[in-house]
Amino acid sequence: MRSDLSRKIWFSTIFIIGMGLAALYSASYQNVRVPPQIFYDQLLCAFVGVLIAYFLGRVDYRKFYDAAYVFYGINVVLLLVVLVSGRHAMGARRWMEIGGFSFQPSELTKLSLIFMLGRYYSHRRPALSFSLLTKAQVIGREIIFPFFLTVILMLLIFKQPDLGTALLLFGMFVVMLFASGTDFRYIVGFLGLCLCLVPFGWHYLRPYQKDRLLVFLNPNIDPLGAGYTIIQSKIAIGSGRIFGKGWLSGTQNQLNFLPERHTDFIFSVIGEEWGLLGALLLIYFYFMLVRCGLTIADQVKDKFGMLVTIGIVSILTLQVIINIGMVMGLFPIVGLTLPFISYGRTSLLIFMIMVGFLLNLSKKRSAF
Amino acid sequence: MRVKIIRFIIVSLFIMITIGLIYFQAIRGQYFYNLSTNNRIRVVPLEGWRGRILDRNGFVLADNRMTYDVMITPQDVVDIKSLFRFLSEVLGVNQDKIMETYRRRKYAPFAPVVVADDLSREKAMVIEENKYRFPSLFIQENYKRLYPYGRNSAHVLGYVGQIDLSKIEEVTEYGYSPQAQVGKTGVEEHYDAYLRGQEGGLQIEVNSRGQQVRLLSIKKPVKGQDITLTIDSRVQQMTMELLEEKPGAIVVLDMNNGEILGMTSSPDFDLNIRTSGKINSPFLNRAIKGVFPPGSVFKVLVALAALDSQKISVSTTFKCVGYYELGQTKFGCTHAHGQENLIESLVHSCNIYYYHLGLVLGENIINRYARLLGLGRLTRVDLPYEKAGLVPGRAQRLASSQKRWYTGDTLNLSIGQGDTLVTPLQLARMIATVARNGIEVQPHVLMAIDDIVVNKFSFERQMPVSPEAFQIVKKGLRAAVTDNEGTAHVLDVPGLYVAGKTGTAQSQPGKEHHAWFVGYIEGQQKDIAFCVFLEHGGSSHNACLLAKEFLLRMQEEKML
Repeated sequence: MRSDLSRKIWFSTIFIIGMGLAALYSASYQNVRVPPQIFYDQLLCAFVGVLIAYFLGRVDYRKFYDAAYVFYGINVVLLLVVLVSGRHAMGARRWMEIGGFSFQPSELTKLSLIFMLGRYYSHRRPALSFSLLTKAQVIGREIIFPFFLTVILMLLIFKQPDLGTALLLFGMFVVMLFASGTDFRYIVGFLGLCLCLVPFGWHYLRPYQKDRLLVFLNPNIDPLGAGYTIIQSKIAIGSGRIFGKGWLSGTQNQLNFLPERHTDFIFSVIGEEWGLLGALLLIYFYFMLVRCGLTIADQVKDKFGMLVTIGIVSILTLQVIINIGMVMGLFPIVGLTLPFISYGRTSLLIFMIMVGFLLNLSKKRSAF
Repeated sequence: MRVKIIRFIIVSLFIMITIGLIYFQAIRGQYFYNLSTNNRIRVVPLEGWRGRILDRNGFVLADNRMTYDVMITPQDVVDIKSLFRFLSEVLGVNQDKIMETYRRRKYAPFAPVVVADDLSREKAMVIEENKYRFPSLFIQENYKRLYPYGRNSAHVLGYVGQIDLSKIEEVTEYGYSPQAQVGKTGVEEHYDAYLRGQEGGLQIEVNSRGQQVRLLSIKKPVKGQDITLTIDSRVQQMTMELLEEKPGAIVVLDMNNGEILGMTSSPDFDLNIRTSGKINSPFLNRAIKGVFPPGSVFKVLVALAALDSQKISVSTTFKCVGYYELGQTKFGCTHAHGQENLIESLVHSCNIYYYHLGLVLGENIINRYARLLGLGRLTRVDLPYEKAGLVPGRAQRLASSQKRWYTGDTLNLSIGQGDTLVTPLQLARMIATVARNGIEVQPHVLMAIDDIVVNKFSFERQMPVSPEAFQIVKKGLRAAVTDNEGTAHVLDVPGLYVAGKTGTAQSQPGKEHHAWFVGYIEGQQKDIAFCVFLEHGGSSHNACLLAKEFLLRMQEEKML
């Protein structure tokens, strides 16, 4: 049964990556706007990713537990470095160069936050001692301190600026907080408070971020400017209809009507060329992967393992849902990639590490 | 437990996104599919060449010529300064002027802008050779209507222009687009449906920048049909020269089949430029759109009416004392002609004789014969905007101005004055009908469409008038030329059988009279009927002189 689980994880991951590579090939097919070498880049990265996942599936995952805080610390430092001296691209400082290899520390935060929160909530958790603490102490320990650690990452990322990832981290925090078993009333109170602060947050947004939100409400405000991407992407997905226009035959894609189609908007290429059937198949495999995670979380005896699995599952789900929803115009454009598929080496490797972790737990559960 | 809640939420989210996809791709898929098709497919219209117009001898009266326009595609402009510097060098136009034109006409990055039109071939080639330096620049081949003879037959041919926006609604279903060039008047308008080419087009696939990626399909434009006219451009050239500086019109008709050999109106205009500094409505085709009182020419039909209705015989005479008194009013004549019979009255054009006839006949009978001979009704010539003229009568007077008809009006009517109005073409046709003893032909200018001879105009109608009456009147018309005292005696050209009637019609007070000569020639290569009209040309003698010159020149050119 366990090997069955890991086989499922492998199968769905490989399928998603394969579909992603095919879409990427099509997006860069005979094109100058999107250079074809990104396909080979991603292909190489996928190989490395598979090796990493395989390797991580075999190490003792307790090492993740031990390294969690250190990992977190390193990540904060990296984010600070990237803010000061990172590489500019498309109006943001997200990349840093290490030996000719550029990567995004913001992608790394997804992992470090999961491990950090996993360790934090599983570590100091004598559930019985609850009654010995005052209410304020409980709130402080369960919510305020971990939230403070999360907010540090969020702010550093928001500064880059990368609103999408920052909000994603917040979402992940809420899910893990919920999974940690904290009193439900505290969580509701916390969320209510955050909701009240949202209007003040508006002033901290950059003009283009405000544009994106306004355009989400009505893409036709600026059809050739900020609204162009979303209009073209909706046309692309819708025009795929049920069976799609065929691989390499999507007109919106091949004729350059879709900007950013190799990164955030890659799903519109899939929707256009493979239609509803292809899109639903992809979503089914995402769901299969997520379900494996949930099965692990349900059965694993170890709290750290459970929390980390929930973190992985939540980040995967949130990114898939938000990305597809955003490409279809159901959510504002926040700049989140489609896991395993969007072009991006850091992103792909991080998700492969997560898969490695899931594989690890699916095998080693009996050890506890 | 909490994991179960999370599982529930995750499943709901996946279901939600699935529903979203089904909605977008399955339910609204067709809508988006159409949008994506519109995104990538553009149609570039290709204009079909307009058919040519030829005269009866095959001379081309209206043709097309290539023009070269310089176009700039805004989105492909790289270095705008050097582009305009280059253009101003080649075109010899100020750089700022080109820039100004470009700025004014530019409206979308993908839509090419015409910065200069109608270039010489050499300049167009220079630009084409430098295309590699300026990718945004290209030469668009176009065509323009060319009228090789300029002013010759200007009114008959008409010209071509942008379609009237007020008319576009009624013609869109016939395939006219709002940019269509259509005939505006004359043959160009009347036979537009044949002349005009069928628009073709290129269906191209473009990318997001509007650049062509590949050609999907071509629909070849179809050239319009050539039209051959009955008009003889040599006749036109003569009449045009004769009418130079004189407002008026000349119509020449083949009286056996109704073919219009010549129709010239003066002042005229150059079809290629279409501007004229001249006053006196140069764009008005006086031969069919101008209506004027016919004066004495009208007597032909009054005489015919009197003979046919047997109110008089050839020998009936009336005495002319130089005037006719009706109540207190005196109606005058040129001379006191004394006792006159019908032939003599036509020779001298005696008014008094026709006052008597008018009184004998009454305005109703005159009216009936006027209509029989084609006055007061359209000739239905195949040219647009023809006027019907007017033959006044009791009922017409009452209907149009609620006024009564007086006997004086009958007197005026019987010598073609008063409210009577005719077109030169109507009179030419009338005299043709007389010459052929009551057989009416259909005047027309169309001979063939694309080498297929059109004979829909070749019908004839026999008027219910006795041939004897025509014979007598024709004797009078011939006598007016041959008789030494005849009003048209100058036209007694040796070797030509000319017959006809003069007319000096009073126009507005204080202005010169209109001069008419309406006649026919028999027994030559062609039996032709013609009408010479000089607007405010003074005495009919002037019209006769012009007619004579015309006939002499025709004879000289061996066209008679």
